[in-house]
Amino acid sequence: MTLSTDPRGGEMPLDAAGAAISVRSLRRTFKGGIEAVRDIDLTVARGEIFGFLGPNGAGKTTTVRMLCTLLPPTSGNASVAGLDVVEDAAEVRRRIGVALQEIGLDPVQTGRELLELQCGLYGVTGRDARDRAEELLELVGLTEAADRRTKTYSGGMKRRLDLASALVHAPEVLFLDEPTTGLDPASRLTVWEEVRRINATGTSVFLTTQYLEEADQLCQRLAIIDDGRIVTEGTPAQLKAQMGHDVVTISLAAADVPTTEAALAELPGLERSMTEREALVLYVEDGARSIPEIVRRLDRESIGVAAISVSRPTLDDVFLQATGRRLEGDEQEEPTP
Amino acid sequence: MSEILLLGRRAVREIVRYPEATIPTLFIPLFFLVVNLGQVQKTFPSTTPFLKGQSYVAFQLPVSIIFAAATATSGLALVTEIDNGYFDKLLVTPIRRSSIILGRLCADFVRGIAGSLLVLLVGIALGARVATGVPGAVVMILLGAGFGVAYAGFAILIALRTRNVQATQSSFLLFFPLLFLTPNFVPFNRLSSVMDTLAHINPISYVIVGLRSLVIDGWNWGEIGVAFAVVIAMGAILTGASLRTIARYDRS
Repeated sequence: MTLSTDPRGGEMPLDAAGAAISVRSLRRTFKGGIEAVRDIDLTVARGEIFGFLGPNGAGKTTTVRMLCTLLPPTSGNASVAGLDVVEDAAEVRRRIGVALQEIGLDPVQTGRELLELQCGLYGVTGRDARDRAEELLELVGLTEAADRRTKTYSGGMKRRLDLASALVHAPEVLFLDEPTTGLDPASRLTVWEEVRRINATGTSVFLTTQYLEEADQLCQRLAIIDDGRIVTEGTPAQLKAQMGHDVVTISLAAADVPTTEAALAELPGLERSMTEREALVLYVEDGARSIPEIVRRLDRESIGVAAISVSRPTLDDVFLQATGRRLEGDEQEEPTP
Repeated sequence: MSEILLLGRRAVREIVRYPEATIPTLFIPLFFLVVNLGQVQKTFPSTTPFLKGQSYVAFQLPVSIIFAAATATSGLALVTEIDNGYFDKLLVTPIRRSSIILGRLCADFVRGIAGSLLVLLVGIALGARVATGVPGAVVMILLGAGFGVAYAGFAILIALRTRNVQATQSSFLLFFPLLFLTPNFVPFNRLSSVMDTLAHINPISYVIVGLRSLVIDGWNWGEIGVAFAVVIAMGAILTGASLRTIARYDRS
């Protein structure tokens, strides 16, 4: 049994039977044999914010669509709130809230009308629906804009309203598919605050993102998905700890990669090294103390470099280690059904 | 049922708030009514036997009602929602998928009533008299609105199958020839033999004939009954196909 970090600081057991989400050998193959998701396994504990990190096209959205009952798996099984997503799809939909990557709003309705309709679709009507809509509008800071049509809302307002519409029935599990993509930094922070607040009420959150900072800031645990496969999983701290102590990045300019790598191969405290397009990345015990020795060794071999920097490992380093490339700036489209 | 009404109310609100989507669908039938009258009214004076003393506008009125009621608006609204993601939002709620379509059809019925009523009033203003009086006018409006609902299933079907705005928009072009393969200008017995055959196998002909009997002939229950039967059959086939398609949407 694995353990998950509890939002309140402790650790909770990851028991598949009592989990918010449990996925076993889940696979989705689209027409033409495109394998969007390849036999993934994961467990999300109740009350957890779980991050699903990966570049565009990695299989994040396809996974979310399967878990939300929008798309049937090709094979494998998945349960949400203890219910099978294929066998008990209707009941799963009652228990989940969903804010998909594409903000699903009806532009003709006002924010208030949209929330009241959403309440109605979950069986909350009349006075209760009006009160719930008012409460949610206040929660996401849209009270003043409540009676304007949603087509007049900014991107951040639309995202907040979409989030509110996913909460009308106080779901057990909330799916957020790239909730901050396309938002300005201020709106992004607002959404993060909302997610934390929602999670504090006991709602489990499954959040996909391609932003490292978002995963780092929000998620108690995360999995990295690349090319349809989960390549690593753990708490952000655990994943970064696996990387070693410090990261020294040497921008190579015109320097030859194999020669530079060979010159630093026996560097004291070196745990491992990786090459990137125009840089050599060294994972070392003590970055600051390694710099003089690195400079000496490069100098001895007459290797000129553009820059040397020291940093703590980030999730991007974790991603690089797991996939062989950086996450940020990686762009490809996910297949659609 | 309540979810259908909720979604229907939303769709009606959409009609009211987007008049630019509805006005062209009303303008075209009224335009054709006026233009057709201008072209052939002198050819068919009220002494023409099949007009039974009425102006030719009475003969053309049913065609315009059919034209006004049959729109691809619901299909277009649906495909737009597929495009902007709201359709997925509805699919992840615990409602029956059929409610999404039935809600749209509620709005089509309201739109059909409004469109048929408007065309009927314009027709009356241009000189038509409804032989069956106010009750007949109500039946005409209901028959026109019913046809609008039945036809809407076609555009909805195209929207769900193609998920493409242009294809859904083009669905109306398929309806256009069908409207002209009918006794729309003259009765069956005045059509050429080929046209007569084609018109007889075209179900829309019987809806026009049913509506026309209410304006010109009086309570001809046989023709009215056939018209309602055609509308019900069309609705059952096209709405049934749409419901089956939405039930299977992204399920494979």
